[in-house]
Amino acid sequence: MKKFISMVLALAIAAVSLTACGAPTASGGDSASGSASGAEPQTDTITMLLPPVSATYQDQLAVWAKEFNEMYPNLTLEFEKASWEDYKEKLDVQVNAGTPPDIAYVEYDRVGTLADSGLLLDISSMIEKEQLEDFDSNALEFYRLNEGLYGLPIYISVQCLGGNRAMMEQANIDWKSIQKNGWTYEEFRKAIQAGTTDEHYGFIFACAGVTAADYLNIMVKNAGMPAPFDEEMKFAYTSQNFLNLLKCIREIIDDGSTPKEMSSVDAGKRWNMFLTGQTMIFGKGLANFEGLAAANNAKLAANDATAVENSVQADYVVLPVPTFFGQAQQAQGVAGGYSAFRTKKEPDPVHLDNVMKALYFMSSGERAAFTCNELFVSALSESTREAMGKIHNEVPRDPDNAEAMALLTTQVAKPRPDIPAEKSAQATRLLDEVIVPKFQALLAGETTPEQMYEAVKAAAIDTFGADGIVTD
Amino acid sequence: MKKSDSSEQRSNRKWHLTSEDMWGYAFIAVAMIVFCVFTVYPVFSAFVTSFHKYKPLGSIFVGVENYQNTFTNRLFYKAIWNTLVYTIFTVPFSLCISFVVAVLVLPFKKKVQSLFKSMYYLPAVASGVALSVVWLWIYDPLPTGLLNSLLAKFGLGNVNWLGSSSTAMFSLILMALLAGHGTQIIIYLAALLGVPSSLFEAADLDGATFLQKLWFIVIPLVKPTTLFLLVTGVIGSFQVFMNAYMMTGGGPDNATTMVGLLIFNNAFKYSDYGLACAQALILAVVIALVSLVQFKLMGEDVEY
Repeated sequence: MKKFISMVLALAIAAVSLTACGAPTASGGDSASGSASGAEPQTDTITMLLPPVSATYQDQLAVWAKEFNEMYPNLTLEFEKASWEDYKEKLDVQVNAGTPPDIAYVEYDRVGTLADSGLLLDISSMIEKEQLEDFDSNALEFYRLNEGLYGLPIYISVQCLGGNRAMMEQANIDWKSIQKNGWTYEEFRKAIQAGTTDEHYGFIFACAGVTAADYLNIMVKNAGMPAPFDEEMKFAYTSQNFLNLLKCIREIIDDGSTPKEMSSVDAGKRWNMFLTGQTMIFGKGLANFEGLAAANNAKLAANDATAVENSVQADYVVLPVPTFFGQAQQAQGVAGGYSAFRTKKEPDPVHLDNVMKALYFMSSGERAAFTCNELFVSALSESTREAMGKIHNEVPRDPDNAEAMALLTTQVAKPRPDIPAEKSAQATRLLDEVIVPKFQALLAGETTPEQMYEAVKAAAIDTFGADGIVTD
Repeated sequence: MKKSDSSEQRSNRKWHLTSEDMWGYAFIAVAMIVFCVFTVYPVFSAFVTSFHKYKPLGSIFVGVENYQNTFTNRLFYKAIWNTLVYTIFTVPFSLCISFVVAVLVLPFKKKVQSLFKSMYYLPAVASGVALSVVWLWIYDPLPTGLLNSLLAKFGLGNVNWLGSSSTAMFSLILMALLAGHGTQIIIYLAALLGVPSSLFEAADLDGATFLQKLWFIVIPLVKPTTLFLLVTGVIGSFQVFMNAYMMTGGGPDNATTMVGLLIFNNAFKYSDYGLACAQALILAVVIALVSLVQFKLMGEDVEY
């Protein structure tokens, strides 16, 4: 008897362990199938994997689920919330296991990789024409790959620079003119030199670890390389402009306008340095930083102990990235939106139709307006613009910043859906394994611009061949 | 004739399962099923995947291409070298520190011993991510940073701890050496308590000094424990991932890219599961070879 009980207990433990390996329940595709025309519509559940896109975005999801259910009583939205740290990994694991959610938040630069899995849906023939026409056509371009459309955008966030208004005025920098007309590298260099004092640096950019890629990506666009490949599909980061850009980046460190330890300043540290008055200009800057800075200013004014320690009153000013060598402003824009997926099983047309309803619902109107408003960015569809007009903000947005951001949004470098997925993947690997590590060494003063350029060129020839790179 | 009968009977007994045998196999089966599902199957699956370009809707067979790509990739060799350097500096020093601490804690009464054990074990309970955040704060690169402020008090210049390739690896090693000895100390203490006191009494009669007792009694008798900690330490160190991922991301200039991080990036950043599986299997072979060498060099006179 003892043996029997022990055996049962052991089997129970094994069973519990193995239960965790079970495949996740498929989304409502099954329940939707078989709905005959004219019959009562079958109930269906649409699953979504979502990170905290904006400050209170995830709190709002339950409200949107209720609204969707009121609009389509047979349909239910089911959300899987994830932190920014977990979401990408969760989505990758689910996609590679062949069981992704019906819809997920996807940033445009991941479309190529996800489409390569075969599970990302080309929605161009699935979504209704009128719904597609609601969106700005240039915004949709971010989700295009060759002839396909792999998602609907909700916002384009411009990654630029940010400044401390009072410090800039103290250094006699005409920030309003810069917002309207942009500035050249020479003007920028002079400004950050003027803004460097014993108390604060003129400029800081978060470059620790992989964030160094952000610095390079933002700067390289304004040096005449809006994409890693030129129009003839040759790798662009081997041009002389790339070498000259590296020299400029090294130059401002050697000037002493930025800390020589910038290579290990992380994103949190750079924001803290702005709030505590340790830097005049910083990067990367985002539109919603205006709201975050204003909130901290309000806490300081109210003597609220939750204000950032040692912080000072700091008004955030949106600043464009300087242009290099007479090139035009090509702002770095990151589009965020929703994409639809299929599973390993052959998709059910009725369920797909329901997924499209949910996709449009989440990407447009009040839902997108709420997200854009919290991110301080412009709407990308008519229905969103209309809904945004009805939103009343208690703290009005700074008109100069709003205007500067609207201008930068029009100057965002065009997406390149023509770059083949394989080439794009090769460029990403080259960037991660050679360019960014060498760039980190350049920032730390351990290599020269010339040495880095030669290393990048050699690796690019290895990858794309001597004929596949720009030589000028 | 009799001899052949008895051997036949023995052979029959060998294949005849009694009720006791059945129960034995049933109990083993539970552990075997779990082992097969969670260890054998994933290893086998990784082996198969390593010959494919993985795709959820049907992988493509690519032969030994993933292995070829690994062996021709300079970053893989750099990652192996970095991992080796990290292992050489962390494992032996970590063992020495743990051994010394265990020897120092041993003479105390049980309650004081428990206090020290808890204190040293505490970092093992804390999350690796939380520890990394604390260390990022310590290694703050600016002159106002904690460690840099301390150096400044001694008139030393500012150090870009994690941002310079000359100090990044050292910073990770220092972090490993100053945290996470808890398990090793507890195991060493258990081994030290197992050394018969009669040996120390005899040594005292012979007039042996503390160092002589340590060298001729303690170290030889805790050798099986040292071997165990060395082998498991090297295996753990070869698989190190969290420190580099959280602290440096492998930079600067790939100075802290470890094999574990490389495999993670290939799997979860580039979704190249085939290449990641090939590299993971190569790493497993390297670990097995290193462990074999350790057993050959140290394990011949060790009995468990």
